[in-house]
Amino acid sequence: MKAVGARLPRYDGIAHVTGRSTYVDDVRIPGTLWVKALRSPHHNAAITKLDTSPAEKLKGVHAVVTAADVPLLVYGHLSALGIPGDEPLLADGEVRYQGQPIAVVAAESEELAMAAVEAIRIEYEERPALFDIRKAFDPDAPVIHEWGNWYPHFEGELDRRQIRKGDIEWAFDKADTIVQGVYRPAAIEHVPLETQVCQVVPEADGRLTIYSCTQALYFSLGVVCAHLQLPLNKVKVVGGTVGGGFGGKVDTATETMCALLAQKSGRPVKWRWTREEEFLCSSTRAPWHMEIADAVTKDGWILGRKMLTLHDSGAYARFSPYGLTKHSFHHAGAYTIPNIHFDGYVVFTNRVPTTAMRGFGVTSVSFAVETHLSRIAVELGIDPFELRLKNANRIGDTTPNGVVLTDPSTVPTIQAIADAIGHELTAEYRTTTRDTRSGAFLPDHLVSQLGNPEEH
Amino acid sequence: MNLTVNGVAREVESGPLTPLLFVLRDELELTGAKAGCQQGGCGACTVLVDGEPRRSCLTPLAAVEGAEITTVEGLGTPEDLAPIQQAFTHHYAAQCGFCTSGLMLAAQAYIDHGGTDDRHAIQEALSGHVCRCTGYVKIVDAVAAAARGDEFDLTVTAGSSGMTSGGVR
Amino acid sequence: MPAIDVLTPTSPDEAVAAFGDGTGVVVLGGGTIVVPEMTYGRLKPERVLMLGRAGLAGISRSGSTVTIGAATPVADLVGLAAPLGPCAANVADAEIRAQGTVGGNLCAGEGPEAPRGDLQGALLALGAVVRSAGAGGIASEPLEDFLPKRRSRLALDVSFEEPAAGAFANLDRPHTDDYTALAVSGARAADGTIRLAATGAGWWGLRLPSAEAKAGDPEAAGAAALADVKLADDALASAWYRGKVLPVLVRRVLAQLKEIA
Repeated sequence: MKAVGARLPRYDGIAHVTGRSTYVDDVRIPGTLWVKALRSPHHNAAITKLDTSPAEKLKGVHAVVTAADVPLLVYGHLSALGIPGDEPLLADGEVRYQGQPIAVVAAESEELAMAAVEAIRIEYEERPALFDIRKAFDPDAPVIHEWGNWYPHFEGELDRRQIRKGDIEWAFDKADTIVQGVYRPAAIEHVPLETQVCQVVPEADGRLTIYSCTQALYFSLGVVCAHLQLPLNKVKVVGGTVGGGFGGKVDTATETMCALLAQKSGRPVKWRWTREEEFLCSSTRAPWHMEIADAVTKDGWILGRKMLTLHDSGAYARFSPYGLTKHSFHHAGAYTIPNIHFDGYVVFTNRVPTTAMRGFGVTSVSFAVETHLSRIAVELGIDPFELRLKNANRIGDTTPNGVVLTDPSTVPTIQAIADAIGHELTAEYRTTTRDTRSGAFLPDHLVSQLGNPEEH
Repeated sequence: MNLTVNGVAREVESGPLTPLLFVLRDELELTGAKAGCQQGGCGACTVLVDGEPRRSCLTPLAAVEGAEITTVEGLGTPEDLAPIQQAFTHHYAAQCGFCTSGLMLAAQAYIDHGGTDDRHAIQEALSGHVCRCTGYVKIVDAVAAAARGDEFDLTVTAGSSGMTSGGVR
Repeated sequence: MPAIDVLTPTSPDEAVAAFGDGTGVVVLGGGTIVVPEMTYGRLKPERVLMLGRAGLAGISRSGSTVTIGAATPVADLVGLAAPLGPCAANVADAEIRAQGTVGGNLCAGEGPEAPRGDLQGALLALGAVVRSAGAGGIASEPLEDFLPKRRSRLALDVSFEEPAAGAFANLDRPHTDDYTALAVSGARAADGTIRLAATGAGWWGLRLPSAEAKAGDPEAAGAAALADVKLADDALASAWYRGKVLPVLVRRVLAQLKEIA
């Protein structure tokens, strides 16, 4: 293995510093038309009238595409993971978030495309909108999604991701104190330097070539072919250097609409989002609402954790059920908590649909559980490192969802951090290891959760 | 309208108010300068105008008539990389690469005007440039190294100044 | 698309003549505000007056009077004394400062999401006078009289008397390309009169007369300043936040002025 541990130069380093790396917008195809979208100005509304003919008649406009033109309008991008589709490629009779695309236009210049968008006649009937995930459960909340205000299709048609382990009532009864906290990280924009951009070329034999900034080339290929009802071998996706994605370029937000415009117009088309479109309409990292209540003993054992998570999916599900699932696996953090009661909901609001962003689903729960541990340390008057080392995962401990740990690195990591910043640990905590619990680190209440790592 | 681009006299047909960025990318097919925001907020479009760094997305063509424009394509070639390009390569100062050309040109101007390896001065000079990938440490390392006149071994990547083993600075 | 008429005067007189009474003319100094508006399709001008070569740049001194040409880049003000120097240094970053002009900054219209015109506050505190062209000919007037009509005039230059003391305090933001969320400028004239002004506390720079009236008591002046402004939420900061910070900046400016003999 020559690569591990070596300081190899980037294979594309020279291309980057000489301006030769080719991003999608650098691809030049003669005859390319420019794309602009008609986007909803409303958060939640019915479309009562839509007439694209004034746009189609404009000189220099070569194609206008709406929901009616899409062979398969709704396709669940993660249907292979059991998550059904709910989001139309283009709005169909209603809009559920400000910025939702309703029609796309291909014209000889960006100005003409914009003029065509402005020429489309559209009327709306606004509906009450929902922005606060906590209010989604109120009996008088507006219902903003055909599935109800939260996702109901977890396995077994459960309306939440649910994890139960041990006996939470026992833990709360036995505890010396209950420590509570609420954690609400806000949405975050990815802001890659390169905005969403796509170039599609209709080939002579009916195939399509798509130059895409996607982070997930084969995934996007599948999505495009599903919407267009084309076999996979009819579409070639050319990926390449992506000018930053961070999770925001998996949604396949431009490729299918450009493909439809290329088919309809018979011309190559390019869609380059403006920075304003990125901020207004591109998907974000989701806002979360997490409530944690830990049953703790005065000497710092966490007997049990009760947690409620609400994840703001925005107007449609996209990947949120998957993100919440990942989140739920990690809600005990790197710590062994034998009694668990977790409920997580994917909640719909009239915001831009949320999506993956670095550490999808997990950064939220890490932030919450670590902050919560610090809170416990303050409330109990215990050293925050030692609180963590006490409860840290060790070999043979089991996770909330029953996984037996064989290689947890929590103990050495926390000790290394303490050492790096010169934080003194008492002898017991300085010398404890990640080996299977014993002695002072194996209280009665952790005995039954031990599993056999060899059998795992 | 006439301007010199990377040492070559060019006559361009674009209208007088066309932002220089689009004259370079669309008419002259020099795609090294990037459209990151088209409102001067990110620096991905920066080129040198008579040796001074300017946002090409904000510069109307008529304002640079007769000027000498330097783009990343004029800094150096793979066979003959400028020191700043070598520095960025060796110090791993580019990840996605989208901000790289604007940053290097601004850095080149900083060094040409006598800029040193003082990290604060480098950050001040480059403060209008946004990078979403690297966290900036290696970019400053690269500019400092180029300002010092370091020699660069392009077969290996340098460690980062911000991540030496043995703890946090 | 109809062609745009681009005027490129090569002298101040030509610029004045080209501007006429300003009807249908968009003035382009450096372009840092106007060009993106055009790129985004929000501004579709018929006539654009480019001032880059009209001989309107430069800083001159005559006794204690400083005169700054409207096409002077903001960068050229960076070395000047407070409040103007630090105010200019705080504008965006080096590349934007080198391109944007004093006139463009003074005459900026309301931004779509936040106030513009950082230099207005500093120049109001300095008691600046603007010489401009437009309907009725060339006129000189105090900046506060010019500001409400800045969109219909062609600023030619701005002048002020060097103060005995100057100060500047602002809300510092990490990303340098934002317009200033809130800043206070102050100046003490030779006769001891103190002038205070704020940017980011309204859609354009405002004098703070209630604070000036209490300049001897910084605490009281800070509180009084709130009466002079109409704070609003925008993309940069909330009205609530600005309301908390404004008194602090007023106190700081007055404290700085006091320290200068």
